[in-house]
Amino acid sequence: MDFELNDDQRAILEAVETLLEQRAGAARAVALASKGDYDAELEAALANAGFTDMALSEETGLLEAALVVEAVARAGGLAAIGAAALVAPHCAGRALPGPIALASAGERGPVRFGAHARTLLVAAADEARAVRVQPGDAETVASNFGYPMGRVRTDGGESLGAGSGARLRSAWRLALAAEATGTMRSALHITVEYLKQRRQFGHPIGSFQAVQHRLAECAVLVEGSRWLTYEAAWRGATAEASATAAAYALAAAHRVFSETHQLSGSIGFTREHDLHVFSMRLQALRLELDGVGGHQRALTRSRWTTA
Amino acid sequence: MEFGWSDEDLAYRRELRAFLAAELPDDWAELSKDGPGSEAQARFSRDFAARLAARGWLTQHWPREYGGSDASPWRHAILSEEMWSRGEPRGPQYMNVNWIGPAIMKFGTEEQKRLHLERISRGDALWCQGFSEPEAGSDLAALRTLAIRDGDQYVVNGGKIWTSYANHAEFCFLLVRTDPDSKRHRGISVLLMPMDTPGVEIREIPAVVGERYFHEVFLTDARVPVSCRLGPEHEGWSVVTYALQYERVGSPRYARAALTLDQLAELARSQGVLDDAGVQEKLGQARALCEAARALTYRVIDQRARNQPPTADSNVARVAGTMADRAVAELALELFGPESLEYGTFGDAQFRMAMTAGVAVGATEIQLNLIATRFLGLPRA
Repeated sequence: MDFELNDDQRAILEAVETLLEQRAGAARAVALASKGDYDAELEAALANAGFTDMALSEETGLLEAALVVEAVARAGGLAAIGAAALVAPHCAGRALPGPIALASAGERGPVRFGAHARTLLVAAADEARAVRVQPGDAETVASNFGYPMGRVRTDGGESLGAGSGARLRSAWRLALAAEATGTMRSALHITVEYLKQRRQFGHPIGSFQAVQHRLAECAVLVEGSRWLTYEAAWRGATAEASATAAAYALAAAHRVFSETHQLSGSIGFTREHDLHVFSMRLQALRLELDGVGGHQRALTRSRWTTA
Repeated sequence: MEFGWSDEDLAYRRELRAFLAAELPDDWAELSKDGPGSEAQARFSRDFAARLAARGWLTQHWPREYGGSDASPWRHAILSEEMWSRGEPRGPQYMNVNWIGPAIMKFGTEEQKRLHLERISRGDALWCQGFSEPEAGSDLAALRTLAIRDGDQYVVNGGKIWTSYANHAEFCFLLVRTDPDSKRHRGISVLLMPMDTPGVEIREIPAVVGERYFHEVFLTDARVPVSCRLGPEHEGWSVVTYALQYERVGSPRYARAALTLDQLAELARSQGVLDDAGVQEKLGQARALCEAARALTYRVIDQRARNQPPTADSNVARVAGTMADRAVAELALELFGPESLEYGTFGDAQFRMAMTAGVAVGATEIQLNLIATRFLGLPRA
């Protein structure tokens, strides 16, 4: 047991944070989102620096990849790094042309990054399929939930073999947990910093116990999400560990969304305050792959049923 | 980062489970249904803790010079998980080995060490903790029990409440105010008080959560030798702070909750409802809460193992543990239905244990206060 980053992990995290400071951030996310754009430059920069290859390299693995995915989410990066760094390597065993969007077979609703994707990874019952898509194949969907969305066709594509469907779902859950963790950390941080400054009744709002307790409970949920994510990554995205992390983190996401908005008051509803960059995404993450209930059922099935 | 156990740790857990399977009597479930403070369990603990001691496991995390084997906090955590999840057959003695012993090692006189440490490590010492008072609960520093020096004795007047194990205990780790003019954290001292001191009276407080759970201890002109004081006079707060570093996360409630949950899943299977989506979601939700509590607790143990000072991560772990305990207890009632209304049943036992989770050893609201100010850096009220 060892709950500290090793020197290599610390160096990776520092390096990706430095890159993200220059190439991501809430302001950039707002600018991109206003045009429904995808951050292809960020994805290219992360890929060129090797940050999307962590899971495939000899020296690093899913844990390092999860640290990168969390950091990108924390910085509000608008690129499909969870799919590139965690899902494709674990499911296909190789990098796939990005951007990569993820969908369940037969998905009718909007899919994150669906309109910009070059590869669509489709989770069918037993197998995963990699579908090559061309720009214009998918219909762009306007969305207020922080990511560019598209409606996709999930048929066809190349089978990634028996059992690849389960690998896809597990890695997808791990990626969701990592993204939710990073996104929650920022939503909570923005809210805490605001409530330290904002004064009413002659005191900072953040000094009132009724407010503090709710933020403190959010902190517990975010920390729990973080460590379950790291552990699931360390365990190689097993079905049980990934479902555990996702079941916890996506339930936490809903709570963190509600509390950060309620406690931020009206400023939280504006585009002039950064909270929405992160909070709205939490709802999009929460609905993916059958949502919290789906992760909870997957956890129960992997732990207690043999089917 | 590394989330796996060493082969040695895994082997130790297997050994412990085999030991428990062999040493716990067939009627253990019945015997332990009232919790560690019950007559039956306290009596059992003398025998059981002695057998643990004979294996070298009871105080393995103590330094060698005090009869331990310098075992890592991880090994002791494994022991705590296995004990607590089986209903704590060490009875009240977990307190002695966890933090009373280490406090005596640090602050005790040679005489105190001789009197207490060997006995604790033998598994034959029952202690209680004299902290809370009727007017000093979460606000512990408001304590009023007075100990006035009279020659080589203190004359103690006041009272303690919610004192678990007071009815069996031979000694009390007693917090008193030795400076009557002092306020808050100053002027407090620790006395290692023999419970047979004249002037000590115990009243059992009937409790919903289990038989012999709570007591009130009345102290009327109880004369305690000055030689029973642990650490410097008026500096007891720092003694307690030191002692409680050893008890950063409390009992591993998540371990018992997780074991209960496994049994609930078996029950759901036997009732043919394990494929029911609603049941699966509730089991999954509770399991995730148990796992988060475990991971967050392990992080604190890791800090202990590195000899780092306590942080608000401990408070985070405690709140997570309470969330897990409650979720499993509620599910136990839901899945078992009216069966759990019978005293001593599985669902009832889990429910009673979980009821105390947010209050015992520091109320959740206090934990949340500390997380808000120390972890999030929010301004004090």
